[in-house]
Amino acid sequence: MSPGSHTRRRITAIAVLTVALGIAMLAGVGFGAVSVTPADSLGAIGRMLTGAPKLPGDAVIVDIRLPRVVLAALVGSCLASAGVLYQALFRNPLADPYILGMSAGAGLGAVIALTLTAGATALRFGLVPAGAFVGAILTIIVVVRLASLRGVLDVTSLLLAGVALSYVLAALSSFIMVFFRESMTSVVFWMMGGLTGASWPYVRMVAPMLVLGLAVPLFATREMNILLLGEERAAELGVDVERFKRVLLTAGSLLVAGAVSVSGLIGFVGLMTPHMVRLVLGPDHRVLLPASAIGGAVVMVLADLAARTVLAPVELPVGIVTALVGGPFFVWLLVRRNGHR
Amino acid sequence: MSAKLTYAAATLGYPGVDVVRDATLSVAAGEVVGLIGPNGAGKSTMLRAVTGSARITAGAVELESRSLADIGPRDRARLVGVVPQQVSAAFSFSAREFVLMGRHPHLSRLQQPTDADVALAEEVMAQTDTARLADEGVDTLSGGDLQRLALAQVLVQQPSVLLLDEATSHLDLNHRLQVLDLVRELADGGMAVLAVFHDLDLAARYSDRIAVVDGGTLGPVGSPHEVLTGPMLARVFRVRAVVGIDPVIGSVSVTPVLREEAVGRVCPGRVLVLGGSGAAAPLLRTLYLAGYDVHAGVLNRGDIDHAVAEALGLPLIDLPAFAEVDDAAAARLQAEAEVADVVVVAEIPVGRANLPALRAVIDAASAESLVLVGGFGPERDYAGGIASQAVRDAISAGATVVRDAEAALACVAGITRAAGTCR
Repeated sequence: MSPGSHTRRRITAIAVLTVALGIAMLAGVGFGAVSVTPADSLGAIGRMLTGAPKLPGDAVIVDIRLPRVVLAALVGSCLASAGVLYQALFRNPLADPYILGMSAGAGLGAVIALTLTAGATALRFGLVPAGAFVGAILTIIVVVRLASLRGVLDVTSLLLAGVALSYVLAALSSFIMVFFRESMTSVVFWMMGGLTGASWPYVRMVAPMLVLGLAVPLFATREMNILLLGEERAAELGVDVERFKRVLLTAGSLLVAGAVSVSGLIGFVGLMTPHMVRLVLGPDHRVLLPASAIGGAVVMVLADLAARTVLAPVELPVGIVTALVGGPFFVWLLVRRNGHR
Repeated sequence: MSAKLTYAAATLGYPGVDVVRDATLSVAAGEVVGLIGPNGAGKSTMLRAVTGSARITAGAVELESRSLADIGPRDRARLVGVVPQQVSAAFSFSAREFVLMGRHPHLSRLQQPTDADVALAEEVMAQTDTARLADEGVDTLSGGDLQRLALAQVLVQQPSVLLLDEATSHLDLNHRLQVLDLVRELADGGMAVLAVFHDLDLAARYSDRIAVVDGGTLGPVGSPHEVLTGPMLARVFRVRAVVGIDPVIGSVSVTPVLREEAVGRVCPGRVLVLGGSGAAAPLLRTLYLAGYDVHAGVLNRGDIDHAVAEALGLPLIDLPAFAEVDDAAAARLQAEAEVADVVVVAEIPVGRANLPALRAVIDAASAESLVLVGGFGPERDYAGGIASQAVRDAISAGATVVRDAEAALACVAGITRAAGTCR
């Protein structure tokens, strides 16, 4: 395989996934209480972008369906990209923001922010993501410290520390909600893990976090590959390992915070997506990271579509859909891993 | 020759512990320096300090006369390559992708490997006999293949200093020589090589100089011939060994004989062994291990028995190579035989040169304390029947004949027990 064919493969993979994302988003916009044809959807989006006069049917597409689908794509992208970063960082295919406890940490941060800003909606758009970011980054630092108490950072300790801390942080979130009953409704609503409240301001809040969190790692995919050889080897090959780890941790926390602050706790997307991409395209981060970022968007848009339509008119929180699919997937991974030994 | 890698009174270690203290060593371009020493002595730490994985707490380590502290990770990776002891590959990169990762320090942030990089990778993979693995997943390869791939990965770094941490441990005989021949060739082409060896013969064969690391200190450093000596091996490795020159390849060869810990501490009697022509080696070792105070009879230098006796540190009466046993030597042997509790004659051929020795021990030892190994017939008698006659006389006087070294040991034990000679 020459470098040229490598680049072609990368471009093909990204192109195919982008087309898939387009189709998934059109489906996401099209299905619902009122069906919309792809042509109508594209027309409405075109009119929105060009500022042409709107047709009567456009409102449901542009103001309700589209922000929700776009938000689902952004959240899925955040979670899957964060999964790739953490799996590289810990050289462990079971790492995922949800399992590592970061989602719960971001959740607690967001709950505190929500409680503090009760009634002040304007403040929320700034404070909630900030709280989630601080919560995520503090959690991952504590989890890593706990897992390496015995000197080496082994897989089992990492997962145990993540799960244990998840419970503690979730309990703290519940505690705060019980204490501040007046803000409870909005918090519970948010905690369920869903995209029900999706709107353009949410989109505008997450998008920059995704861009920021993904931009730096996209320039460092070669280092991520080398990190898979082990930290010492990476240092021998010229990677400034300590600095690079901090960069990945920060970028990952930003991505998790972005997803959590708009959609609550949604599990397993960060675990499943990189895995599926790796199975098809291999472990090379130059393909894996961008492909997972798009793939996560596809997964999330489809999961949200299922959440809205499977039991319509009842709408499931999307976290339930991802957990129902992702839980068994996680077990399958564990079994497969043990089978290799 | 210019020094590529220098340790200047360097103290190296990890947070809270100094592993190697005050090490001074420099490796020049074109030179292979072998690092030897027991497990845990600090050899790997010496290498790890060069790549920043171990700390330098005092003194300095310099690459091409620049202090390591002033060299960033990327620049360092262009100067120095490390072939690790263990290569981990729990992911499915192809061997070619794996090797190309070594180009990292030469590529700018967004640059993809160019055709020149790929050509270089192909070249080093051919050199390391890994070209046929190019499209295999590294997670499917054997330890030996992985280790040669790791060398290929290091070679595409194009370093001027090469560090090998026991890098041939997983290789079969053929590939071990192949890799080390390649390393030698690279050194001859101007690379500076510092290599940890556990195999002392390989260390001697491929190193220009050998440095010993023991208990956190570095030294002695010198040619294999100067450094690899019996006393050094006994002190550093706690092993008694025969150090010689390999007759075929001409480099220093080390044959470990005994661990210090295995040497018996009790002394159930003094035994004189008359050896020669390599016939006494198993006897000397067996009696020595059993704890006897073994003395060796007239041995010519260059004889294997001589080397074994020296390795075991036995008192011995020696003669120059091929010299005949003269009156002085015979007299010393006779004196030895008189004070020994048991005299054992190994299964030696006897000719004019050593007949006086055989006579001396038969005369001096009492028949009950004389043990003869092997039957004695014309096939071992090159003295025209005189030797056979002497042996026959001794046997008829009551000397014991045994088959081999084990039987000799049993017999010696019987004699010393009966005489109650244990001091």
